[in-house]
Amino acid sequence: MEFPFPSEEWLKEYHSQINSSEAYKKAAATWEAGAVVLVISKEPRIGLNEDFAIWLDLLKGVCRESKKVTLEEAQKAPFVITGDYARWKQVVKKVLDPVKGMMQGKLKLKGDLPTIVRFVKASQELVECSTRVPTKFLDE
Amino acid sequence: MSYDKDLNFIFRFKTKIVFGPDTAKDVGMEVDSLGCSKALIVTDSFISSKTDLVERVKTALGNRCVGVFDGCEPDSGVHIVDKGTEMGRKVKADCLVSVGGGSSIDTSKGMAICLKKGGNLRDYTGINFLDAPITPHIVIPTTGGTGSEVTYAAVIKDHEAGRKLLIADNFLIPDIAILDPLMTVGMPPMVTAGTGMDAVTHAVEAIHSLQRDPIADALALHAIRLAKRYLPDAVKNGNDITARGQMLIAANMAGSAFSNAQVGVVHALAHSVGARHGVPHGVANSILLPHCIRFNLSECPDRYAMVAEALGVEDIKGKSDEKAGAGAADAAMALAKSVGLPLRLRDVKVPESGLETLANDALSDGSIVYNPRNAMDHALLLGILRQAW
Repeated sequence: MEFPFPSEEWLKEYHSQINSSEAYKKAAATWEAGAVVLVISKEPRIGLNEDFAIWLDLLKGVCRESKKVTLEEAQKAPFVITGDYARWKQVVKKVLDPVKGMMQGKLKLKGDLPTIVRFVKASQELVECSTRVPTKFLDE
Repeated sequence: MSYDKDLNFIFRFKTKIVFGPDTAKDVGMEVDSLGCSKALIVTDSFISSKTDLVERVKTALGNRCVGVFDGCEPDSGVHIVDKGTEMGRKVKADCLVSVGGGSSIDTSKGMAICLKKGGNLRDYTGINFLDAPITPHIVIPTTGGTGSEVTYAAVIKDHEAGRKLLIADNFLIPDIAILDPLMTVGMPPMVTAGTGMDAVTHAVEAIHSLQRDPIADALALHAIRLAKRYLPDAVKNGNDITARGQMLIAANMAGSAFSNAQVGVVHALAHSVGARHGVPHGVANSILLPHCIRFNLSECPDRYAMVAEALGVEDIKGKSDEKAGAGAADAAMALAKSVGLPLRLRDVKVPESGLETLANDALSDGSIVYNPRNAMDHALLLGILRQAW
């Protein structure tokens, strides 16, 4: 079964993949910097009529909670990464490294870059987890 | 030289460049060209009180000048940006003219955000989070190294929180850079040497970066050629306007190159060395560059072969990239030596006992992710530092 990206079903499966990943647990064992929000900008052309914000409450290698939030709630997180649908698709398909994508301006980051860089391996493992979610992209 | 089949990149280039001796006199016209009329000069107290540079710019601005903020300091801070912004609001400035080196330029970038958007700089920490143009900014560099006049980033220290804020955004790229060699003639020889090697390092790092691209390569390689040819002259005779001018151009081209291609492990380490031991950025870069080239050599020998050629290494025709590239490290060190810069970390009073901490700090520097060889490892970084010590 494939889960549409983004959707609450996809997010539930993603949450499960993160917490099943030993590699992520190890890479993020000392992460105490707080929640990370991923914002997929709306793209009505493919049926994404509003921004989709994913809140990941991450602590010491564990995803304690994941949920869809409003943009207003998203701004409360210490890290907010925003991008167009096509960019996130590149991330999930491992075509675009998220940290490099931020530096190239392909993704926007609100928050402290050095903290993210220190956990670059953890960010790569989060991407690995997303690749394990059977995904149906809205534009395919 | 080769590029990947799936090469893709974004190249930003926004700044209008005005070059030539005495072009600082044109700053008034440039303010007009931006549709502005109330310019606030942003500089540091040394430049404003010990040189006539600010007076020259004030005269050129005429009644467009609404004030001078000379509170910039090395390692600019959020509190300095706040003070400058307060002054800017008071005098109703509609554009900023920064006169100085990297610190004054970065302070102005921070002020340009706060003047337009309100709030505190801490609210804007991050990458590409501005949604509209900020206060227009003209830069008149007084050093030839940082390239900040064309870059999209600013580093401002949050002294209260004890950390550096990185703000990077396309809207931060200054609108106009006036490269007037007469504005750099008073720069002392060792500052000229250090900032010149800073430009060389920017260029080499752009060339070896994982995000390299052909446009950045072209700019970086010519920047290296210019620095090789003119830096020794600029250091030897500060009044050599040709050499000063060419070094401003070299720094500018290297700035554009690294602002797009990014930098790597040299900067990651140099930032730590500067922050912990107060070593000028260009000097730290200069010391570390040859050792980092050797560290990376096996990953991209073809890139360093190009660098070696630009640095004037002879007899590389017919040699393998590995052999030719190895010459780049020696040539970079020889250039630094020729302009009288220290060659080892111990020469700039970095204690051997401090190397572990420096390696640790460098692990969280944004530059490190672009290094051609994976350097996200404490032991590897320590190895480079030990070589450089």
